[in-house]
Amino acid sequence: MTDAKTLAYINMYAVLGTLENLCELSPEASALIAGAKPVSIGFEVKDGPSATIFFKNGKCRMEQGADKCDVKLPFSSPEKFNGLIDGTVTPIPSKGFTHIKFLLKEFTALTDMLNKYMRPEPQDLEDPEFFRVSTTLMFYTISVAISQIANNDDIGRFSADHMVDGDIKMAVKDGPAATIRVRNHRLITVKKNPESPRAIMEFGSMELARDLFDGKVNAVACIGSGEISMRGMISMLDNMNRLLDRVGLYLA
Amino acid sequence: MAMKINKYPKSRAMFERAAKVIPSGVYGHLGPAEGNFIPVDAFPLFGEKAKGSYFWDLDGNKFIDYMCAYGPNVLGYGDEDVDAAALEQIKLENCTTSPSPKMVELAELLVDTVACADWAFFAKNGGDVTTLSIMTARAATHRKKIIFVNGFYHGVAPWCQKIDYPGVLPEDVENNLYVDWNDFAALEKLVAENEGEVAAFIAMPYLHGNYFDNQLPADGYWQKVRKLCTEKGIVLIVDDVRCGFRLDLAGSDHFYGFEADLICFCKAIANGWNVSALCGKEYLKSAVSGLSYTGSYWLSAVPFAAGIACINKMKKLDTPKLFREKALTLTNGLRAAAANNGFDLVVSGEPALFYMRIANEDTLMLHQEWIAECVKRGIFFTSHHNHFMNASLSDDDIKHTIDVAEDAFKAVKKNHPEI
Repeated sequence: MTDAKTLAYINMYAVLGTLENLCELSPEASALIAGAKPVSIGFEVKDGPSATIFFKNGKCRMEQGADKCDVKLPFSSPEKFNGLIDGTVTPIPSKGFTHIKFLLKEFTALTDMLNKYMRPEPQDLEDPEFFRVSTTLMFYTISVAISQIANNDDIGRFSADHMVDGDIKMAVKDGPAATIRVRNHRLITVKKNPESPRAIMEFGSMELARDLFDGKVNAVACIGSGEISMRGMISMLDNMNRLLDRVGLYLA
Repeated sequence: MAMKINKYPKSRAMFERAAKVIPSGVYGHLGPAEGNFIPVDAFPLFGEKAKGSYFWDLDGNKFIDYMCAYGPNVLGYGDEDVDAAALEQIKLENCTTSPSPKMVELAELLVDTVACADWAFFAKNGGDVTTLSIMTARAATHRKKIIFVNGFYHGVAPWCQKIDYPGVLPEDVENNLYVDWNDFAALEKLVAENEGEVAAFIAMPYLHGNYFDNQLPADGYWQKVRKLCTEKGIVLIVDDVRCGFRLDLAGSDHFYGFEADLICFCKAIANGWNVSALCGKEYLKSAVSGLSYTGSYWLSAVPFAAGIACINKMKKLDTPKLFREKALTLTNGLRAAAANNGFDLVVSGEPALFYMRIANEDTLMLHQEWIAECVKRGIFFTSHHNHFMNASLSDDDIKHTIDVAEDAFKAVKKNHPEI
């Protein structure tokens, strides 16, 4: 019911892409890379995604493509790249050996920290600040994963084929927001509020968002209780919710 | 004088009670999620009683109901003639080992009433008979594939859901083919690409999907489809569950000037008493006879008695004509009220099942705001679905509806000075 290529796109843009937000939200993460010289790491997956993460001044950003990077990590298949994310594959750079220390030290520490937030221990979530950062990161990961599934997964593409053009606002009240942009049945996630959304789905609280992400509650039930509000072109949200269902399959 | 604005504390309390023991509180099309209650606090969640065109919710708020239980209320809630026939039958028998002659009487009435019907097979819900129609087509043709029109709704069985719906397997829908409404060239091409493999073409009489303007058949569309299906040995199924008896008592295929091979009825047969029917042509009777298809309550006599009374009363009142006239008065009034306040209210579909959309912008948010203001003032519309006319709707009800709509437009306009 899932495929390695779609998972690779999710791992690239939704999981590694969330490092951007980790460095913004966690002073600890930012401090980890603040002292390092600017460096960029490119990930190139054969028959799959490619992207580069640029690290500078305690921040990082991801761009598509791996042509302009200091360190390049090639992967011979989506499966190999997915192995990097689940810790079963050790990457070997094809260029940038002088930056190997950053890769082994700062980058590894950063991804470990991301993992700590993305797969938290129950006791860690009792700390309100940890809970906020963890849930926010999960929100961004899921919002990007929605678009990757829409563009790559066979069943996800069926959902995208039934979506009209426009921006969907997905947001948590008093929390993060994202734009899911639909153009010609292709989706792209922008990690900020849209200016003119065509449809809006808002979770009533961070706690509710967490429970939804953890599969403890169902969105349909929460609409009735008023904990999730929706308006606008509901057909877009219907299809997005089907994509959201599939996010759980890939990120489980 | 300012209009009363509804509040729903008892409905809300009941919903919270329901949510503890019923998945999502109220599931399906009558619930707040599928029912598009936007915002949820503008809508009643539970009703207490209903009569004619009205229902009263748990909080005592009265509504003129333009959803008609999503179709079954065709003569008016609690119609005295239909209910008298049902109650008379209850005294005799209902769900028994040996079926009542009422079943035969209703089948005879349908065969006499519905133009393409040579027989009738009864079940309970629309989905029971759309499923039966597909099984019949496959049994008769020994073919697998079914052509659907994009934007279709034929029930909730796995074969008529979509591949991305929870609980549906790719294998459930692997023989489904899709074509756009009114695109005969595409249909012809699809049939050619699947020569000798298509068992059936299933469609509603016209396209009344949600969130977009409903589309009537193009001139000659159905006649070309009929000819193609005949030439290629494809069973032509009309899903008349939604429209049935509201456009034409002889069937919506008759209304549009063609004959279906199979036609599915449910909502309006018995004014809320639970019965559905698949009617069809003689040549398919043998295929249906050979199917293993039944249900515990399908041959219960009370809904048959109600159905006989309902169909006879619809004939007496000529309800399709009545619906058309009343709906045009209503929708013309609503459009005028919209225009008075700077709104462009688009009404589409057949008048008896009118669909509405405020077209000032393309998000439906303004439309949802207006619908919510109407509901809060006691007019039950929905923002996503076509509406339904019923025979008990009076001229005063229509006038009151237009007055409320005007007040609701003013309320929305107040929040949108740009209009």
